[in-house]
Amino acid sequence: MFKTFFVSEFKYVLKQPAIYIYIIIFALLEFFTLANQNATAGLIYRNAPFTITRQILQLIFMSLIIMVHFFNNAALRDYKNQFNEILFSTPLHKHGYFFGRFFAVLLLSTFPFFGAYVGLVLGSLLAPIFGWVDAENFGPFSVQTYINNYFIFILPNAFITGSILYSIASKWKNTVTSFLGVLGIISIFIVSSILMSDLSTQTYAAFMDVFGTNLYNVETQYYTALQKNTVYPTFTGLILKNRLLWMTLGAVALLMSYRSFSFASKNEKRKKEKKQGTNSEPIFALPALRIVFTSSTSWLQFKSFFLINFLNIIKSVTFKILLIFCFIILITSLSLGFETLGLQSYPLTYRIVDRINANKNLFSFIILIFFSGELIWRDRDNKINEVIDATAHTSFISMIAKALSLVGTVSILHLVLIGIGIIFQLLSGFTQIELEVYFLDFLYDGFPKYVIFGGIMILIQVLLNQKYIAYFVSILVLFVSGLILTGLDISSNMLHIAGAPSIQYSDLNGFGPGLKGALWFNNYWILFSILCLLVAGYLWNRGVKNSLFKRFKIAKKQIPKSYSGGIIALIIVWTAVGGYVYYNTQILNPGFSNKTVQQLRADYEKKYKKHELLPSPKITAVTYYIDIFPAKQNVDARTVLTLTNENVEVINTLHFTVNEPFWDTEFKVPNSKLIEANEPLGYYSYDLKNPLQSGASMKVEIEAKYRTEGFQNTRGNTDIVGNGTMINYRSVMPHVGYNSRLEIGNNSTRKEYDLPERRQTPKLIKNGTKHHLENAISRGNSDFIKVETIVSTVADQIAIAPGSLVKQWEKEGRTYYRYKTDTPSLNYHTFNSGEYEVAKRKWKGIDIEVYHDKKHAVNTTMMLNAVERALKYYTTHFGPYYHKQCRIIEVPRYVRFGGQAFPGTMLYSEAAGFVMNLEDETKNNIVDAVIAHEMAHQWWAHQVIGANMQGNSMLSESLAEYSTLMTLKSIAKTPMEIREFLEYDHDMYLRGRSLELDKELPLYKVENQRYVRYGKGSIVLYGLQDFIGEERVNTALKGFLEAYRYKKAPYPSSLNFIEDFLEPQVPDSLNYLIKDWFKEITLYDNLLTNATYKKLENGKYSITLGIESHKIKADSIGNEAVVTMNDWIDVGFFLDNDETELYQQKRVKINTSTNTFTFELDTLPVKAAIDPRHIFIDKRYADNIKVLSEQE
Amino acid sequence: MSTLKITNLSKTYANGVKALVNVSIELENGMFGLLGPNGAGKSSLMRTLATLQEADSGSATLDDIDIINQPTELRKVLGYLPQEFGVYPRITAEQLLTHLAILKGVVHSKERKELVKYLLDKVNLYDKRNKNVKGFSGGMKQRIGIAQAIIGNPKLIIVDEPTAGLDPGERNRFYNLLADVSSDVIVILSTHIVDDVRELCTKMAIMNLGEVVYHGEPQSAMDDLKGKVYQKIVTREELKQYAEEYKVISNKMVAGQPHIHVYSDHHPENGFEQVPPNLEDVFFSKINTSNVLV
Repeated sequence: MFKTFFVSEFKYVLKQPAIYIYIIIFALLEFFTLANQNATAGLIYRNAPFTITRQILQLIFMSLIIMVHFFNNAALRDYKNQFNEILFSTPLHKHGYFFGRFFAVLLLSTFPFFGAYVGLVLGSLLAPIFGWVDAENFGPFSVQTYINNYFIFILPNAFITGSILYSIASKWKNTVTSFLGVLGIISIFIVSSILMSDLSTQTYAAFMDVFGTNLYNVETQYYTALQKNTVYPTFTGLILKNRLLWMTLGAVALLMSYRSFSFASKNEKRKKEKKQGTNSEPIFALPALRIVFTSSTSWLQFKSFFLINFLNIIKSVTFKILLIFCFIILITSLSLGFETLGLQSYPLTYRIVDRINANKNLFSFIILIFFSGELIWRDRDNKINEVIDATAHTSFISMIAKALSLVGTVSILHLVLIGIGIIFQLLSGFTQIELEVYFLDFLYDGFPKYVIFGGIMILIQVLLNQKYIAYFVSILVLFVSGLILTGLDISSNMLHIAGAPSIQYSDLNGFGPGLKGALWFNNYWILFSILCLLVAGYLWNRGVKNSLFKRFKIAKKQIPKSYSGGIIALIIVWTAVGGYVYYNTQILNPGFSNKTVQQLRADYEKKYKKHELLPSPKITAVTYYIDIFPAKQNVDARTVLTLTNENVEVINTLHFTVNEPFWDTEFKVPNSKLIEANEPLGYYSYDLKNPLQSGASMKVEIEAKYRTEGFQNTRGNTDIVGNGTMINYRSVMPHVGYNSRLEIGNNSTRKEYDLPERRQTPKLIKNGTKHHLENAISRGNSDFIKVETIVSTVADQIAIAPGSLVKQWEKEGRTYYRYKTDTPSLNYHTFNSGEYEVAKRKWKGIDIEVYHDKKHAVNTTMMLNAVERALKYYTTHFGPYYHKQCRIIEVPRYVRFGGQAFPGTMLYSEAAGFVMNLEDETKNNIVDAVIAHEMAHQWWAHQVIGANMQGNSMLSESLAEYSTLMTLKSIAKTPMEIREFLEYDHDMYLRGRSLELDKELPLYKVENQRYVRYGKGSIVLYGLQDFIGEERVNTALKGFLEAYRYKKAPYPSSLNFIEDFLEPQVPDSLNYLIKDWFKEITLYDNLLTNATYKKLENGKYSITLGIESHKIKADSIGNEAVVTMNDWIDVGFFLDNDETELYQQKRVKINTSTNTFTFELDTLPVKAAIDPRHIFIDKRYADNIKVLSEQE
Repeated sequence: MSTLKITNLSKTYANGVKALVNVSIELENGMFGLLGPNGAGKSSLMRTLATLQEADSGSATLDDIDIINQPTELRKVLGYLPQEFGVYPRITAEQLLTHLAILKGVVHSKERKELVKYLLDKVNLYDKRNKNVKGFSGGMKQRIGIAQAIIGNPKLIIVDEPTAGLDPGERNRFYNLLADVSSDVIVILSTHIVDDVRELCTKMAIMNLGEVVYHGEPQSAMDDLKGKVYQKIVTREELKQYAEEYKVISNKMVAGQPHIHVYSDHHPENGFEQVPPNLEDVFFSKINTSNVLV
């Protein structure tokens, strides 16, 4: 019996097209993912076990829809076809029927994955052959990966989700309930994903995860490239436990459902017919009708069509489920809050808007695609099409009603989400709700998109006249067309459907510089959408199904000329708007595509690289004249450079490279002749009539103008804006000579442009190379210089430039400021203007100032405190602060950074410290930390800066991180507080090295790896001070600072610091730390195997700890080797479960991999730990701590 | 008085099936029956008249409206009930009829309300006006279909096999309703049930294989056959033999025994008796020209 049903179900499904469609979709998806040119994975093979497993896990999530389809169908088909009564009256066995079908579908539902396998295998075979992807990106074929994935993830998952869905379907016999079941499963997954975001709950997350995605991520989060390329998933550890747990749950659900399964139909509730009051029946008469067909009839028809369609969607179960779905996801996302490193931001309206937009897109697309098909086919599917078609209405009326009901539906979804957002804000006790931000964002960004996609989807359905093919094409149009255009290097939003410059709300600057363009592009696309609807109305198939050609012929005959005239008129309007958009985005403001930019950079290198080594003068003084016009987003700048020839040779020719191609730049070089002016490449050369002698100086004037005209294809300039302008010195000042920063960095891209391979960063050498002559920031253009600025802006804004304000005056309604630096500093400046309020404090003659938006005053006192605290620590331990000001300037959140340090000035994004909720913060927090970090740069980068070579960012970023930790430590109440910060650094480092695309370098040779210079840098320096003492490290830093502070070339390398200043402070016994931590890549794997206690007769406790320790050296590509251990490590105890009270910490020497330690303690601690303060880079820290148990 | 004039209408489907072959009919107000077996081309003709299908050649006019080239004009005066009439889900009977009334140009809301109520009452569904129409039984849905077909003072009402699935009571109500409105409009009723035509229509046409094989009044068609139809009760075994020897126009079972009707200009003797021709005889004699057992 089992076999009969198994086989018949199998055959049934194989006769349906669905399974083949799924197989093909999966195959294509995987094939293209693998064979796609653009995806870079660096050292990790495209077909690495890790990559393949991740792909499969992604598909498993997607396959949920297949599961519902198959299992629901298997459980409900007989009921739907009302075949149950016939079938169940025959003698059959329950188990055969129930399990036969289940297992057949179980097996079948995994078939699409075989499609995926085919896609993966074909992709990795064909991509290198056809040259889509270099062969070196593919590793050996691992059969085991495919087999294990099937038995560990694919089949078990099908069983788990399948048995839950099958049980639900068999029990309730209702599709809606099945969807709710899916919702339940997804909710569990979402909760698991939320738990993932916190390091401490990741293990629970892995347990809870039904699909395996989070589970696998936890298992592999610190895998190195080598492991990713070789290790395939196996039934061990967390994976085994998770699978067992969920398989058991699945089996229980299935068995329970089997027991309650019965062939008898479910008792249908019969609603009692309500007796209607036998009112006196009214008498009806056929009224005299006035039948009219005028434009007002059309309007009525439109309204009626709209209402019927709209209500139909709104009342449909599918819509309600999608709505609930979207609800749950938004609520979950909101409940995550807006956390950055342990701190919550206030739930500002723009943040809620961001969340809504991030979560609703998928759902709006699903609704638009799904219901466009439903609406178009509704008449036909319900067999009322002939009646409707035979009434006297214009097809266009019906089309536009359909489109608008789609738009209405998605708008309802959007508005409901806004409602949830507002409720969330209120519940969080936040009352500054900006309704206009919600509304305008909907109007600028939501509504137009819905209109555009609605019209296009409807046209696709009408043109193709095949519901499912049209769905498929709609999906292609939505998701693939953009990719194709990007692949073709076409970035114009005139071709990307519904494309428009992005708008992003900022408290300082409203919807920002992209708004004007966005509105024009919206107009352009909305007109296009209406055009689509007109064409759809023209070609709408009334009556018998006809081919497109036939419909065209019929339309030509039947549809009045005025209609075609309308189409033509609209085309004209659309073309006109398009023309205007084209004029603005391509002629007035031509943007550069990626390829063009690369080509320019390649040309630049080929043409001018030969000038790189020519003697070049240095900038020794600068005077800036900058006029900012915020409303027009214009800037006029004049920069007077003093150039000094510090070379021995005479300089005959001056070379300049303009930094900003969009600024209109003009040079005034006295007594010279222009010999080269290459505008596209921004390269200019002048022959000097009186050559610049060694030691002599001359002045050069540069006029740079920025003009905002019309609008652009992208958001455009986000630096020069209505409120919160920031102008980087590079915009108004050219690079003197050839600028090697413009060279293409990526070596495989260089190959495409026939450029020789090159090293990104010069190799680390201690002393004496030409690279020591230039620092990492100004690259030989200047050393430490004085700057003077005259800057002006509108009267209601404040303009800020580096240094002390010397004079301020008004002229013609504008305010002028003259600023002058008090000390020579790096030529690295910013000029700002905005409607600021200033929070001030004076500390030892230094003006601490926070320039902020008036809405963002709440945290300024704490920010002033943080600056003061940092100043106090750094001036005490490192050396004096030479500026007379310490400024924090708030800038719009368009910037990518949280904070950025210029001499005496820090820019701070409005989205960072200003809007963090610090009300309940008593401890150190991220706002403090960011300020301490940027303040530290006033010493590390702005007083001493590394030579332009490997390891230079250790001298800026790592030292700044160290300084930050010390500032935090200075006010920390317990040693455990710092561990919270260090944990982020550990995670950043381990995660970062796991994602390394090229190769990991030891700290002293760090290039641009953030995870090394920030993550590892803080851990290692913090660890070092823990071993040798804070004072000794600070002494080394102070010595280093004094040796190089504000000094011209030669600039120091990381070896100068380590060998000349740090090592002398390190006792010989600890010298291995420098080698292990700074010069090599060393990791540890410590673990507490057991922790037991015994009460002694003297009332004390004897505690025994079993410790396993490994020291691991890694090479640059992740090959790891265990080396012998002879290291000091801490062992300690916690008196509380939350690990805040550290007790009896001891530093012990460990020189074997397994050790047993015994302690006698007065108090019984709760937990024991190896490395309790997380000083060492531990591959897995969670197993370092154990709750003590009584010895048996 | 309206006139519907169909001239040489022809339609051949892509697969070669000839749906309409030179169909020419002219009719005026009153109920017109269109008889024919399944596949005779009735529905094709009606769809063409209802502007839902193109004809390859020929013309059709309603008064001064050119149906083929002015579909919109025709739609303004058309009531149409297709062979298969379905309804939207999640909508009440009243909402559905109101929507259709608006589409048919009943723009004054007071009139529309009264009209919808009147129609619902006429088709005996007034009590169920607020019920979900998708949940109606087949017969009830069909009544909604009929109600919508007569909305908006149409000049031409086309109903395609409207009584399929109706019980006798519903069928009577339906015909009464049609009879009410048909006095001053053209009603084309397609059916394969001969009785329908006999009871209702003053004019009729019989179609077979796309051609009009008879066009005229039912009575005169029967008059033509007068004295030429003979009936005999035979056994099943003899059927085949009779079919070879006589022009059998129909055979049907009466109480388990085949009754055959034959067409003959003179009395065939052999136990046959002359019977007054009915419309069924006309129907079968017109379509059963190849003289096979049907």
